[in-house]
Amino acid sequence: MPPKLVVTGMGVISAIGQGKAAFATALLDGRAAFNVMRRPGRQRESAYIGAEIREMAFPPGIARQTLRAASLSAQAALVVLQEAWVEARLSDVDPRRTGLIVGGSNIQQRELTQVHEGYRDCPVFLRPTYALSFMDSDLCGFCTEQFGIRGLAYTVGGASASGQLAIVQSAQAVLANQVDVCIALGALMDLSHWECRSLRALGAMGSDRYADDPTLACRPFDCDHDGFIFGESCGAVVIESLESSLRRGIEPYAVLCGWGFVMDGNRNPAPSLEGETQAIRSALAASGWSPAQIDYVNPHGTGSTVGDETELKALRACGLTDAYLNATKSLIGHGLSAAGAVEVIATLLQMRAGQLHPTRNLENPIDPALNWVRNKSIDHPIENALTLSMGFGGINTALCWRRA
Amino acid sequence: MTKTEMLDLIARHTREILPGLDAHQFVASDRLADLGANSVDRVEVAMLMQESLGLSVSRVELFGPKNIGELAELFLEKLDAA
Repeated sequence: MPPKLVVTGMGVISAIGQGKAAFATALLDGRAAFNVMRRPGRQRESAYIGAEIREMAFPPGIARQTLRAASLSAQAALVVLQEAWVEARLSDVDPRRTGLIVGGSNIQQRELTQVHEGYRDCPVFLRPTYALSFMDSDLCGFCTEQFGIRGLAYTVGGASASGQLAIVQSAQAVLANQVDVCIALGALMDLSHWECRSLRALGAMGSDRYADDPTLACRPFDCDHDGFIFGESCGAVVIESLESSLRRGIEPYAVLCGWGFVMDGNRNPAPSLEGETQAIRSALAASGWSPAQIDYVNPHGTGSTVGDETELKALRACGLTDAYLNATKSLIGHGLSAAGAVEVIATLLQMRAGQLHPTRNLENPIDPALNWVRNKSIDHPIENALTLSMGFGGINTALCWRRA
Repeated sequence: MTKTEMLDLIARHTREILPGLDAHQFVASDRLADLGANSVDRVEVAMLMQESLGLSVSRVELFGPKNIGELAELFLEKLDAA
């Protein structure tokens, strides 16, 4: 029998709160923080709507020098890892048996754009640290240095499924006995105006039709959706065996019962009903679950017209018509590389609270017969949850979680 | 530019890279490595100096100075020659 895999620590930051307590409260209150984005390097000629993190509280004892050379993505990684690290008491684990998998690729585009635009006319003075920071794997170096991790650390890229992919890879690292504990990080995707422009031009990012009232723009599964709305976020999820967690006397959040990971064989952003259905069925089969056992689904639900519709068809095709559904992105926006990890955290926090958060702007659901949590949170004890992510390039992931 | 002004500029840029040195009183005999600057921090300070002075100095020449006083002299010489 393979060991039972559990989650023993989590850390999160988003535009609606830093830390699990603040994040869970904001989710259950249905709070959102969408506005015209103002971070330098994220607007040029056009303004884009999104949810930006306004401030970040750093753990005491972090030298200002450490933060100076750290990108926004690295700073967010630091604060969420610190939260997860303390909760899971990872200081009591052999550093050589501790690993870190960073989910996301090309995550620091805004920082890079700022450097390129800042030094365009004087390249001779380009800061040498750019050589360190332009690679996403800088997050691995930065975080392993800060936390003394000696086991393994690398990045995995799966577009908007990167966060879930990091969880799958972490689970596999533990199952393969490479490490005892592995932290999956859904890295903060730091978009520049270039990515915003291209994502909007592609029709993936929502238009400016709600420029006058940005709070209405993000509307997953609503008839008036027209694309995803970006939101900065970052999350860390600590994965280990139940046996390993018992050695430190930690009470886990949930058991990772199984997962599905399917490629569509399609480079385009278009979703695939077949791929999504297959990922869900694989996850259910790996868990030994019937669809009726799932009582909550945290869908990918970006607000993309084709994506939302395809996902609900996949849920129907898999017999998941009775489970409760909400859309975490309706509150925090789409974190892209971070989304999968942050939404797993949202799922496990709802599981622990015995409550489900509302879905904002779900006025006319495209499939009204499904079991939506709409404008108010509800009490519901989750036993078995399914979380879904899909990414450009035809990647589909589905994870099954049982309350511990 | 006097040597004192040059040392002040080095001190300013060193503090940018190492904010922990805010209260440090810089003297000519200070060595950046002893102040906690690693190899990357040291090339960052050197690059900020070049940017402020509008000078380009080769890496090889920057290996020479043994303390910030000698570094100030190197930059003063380069400034004169420019």
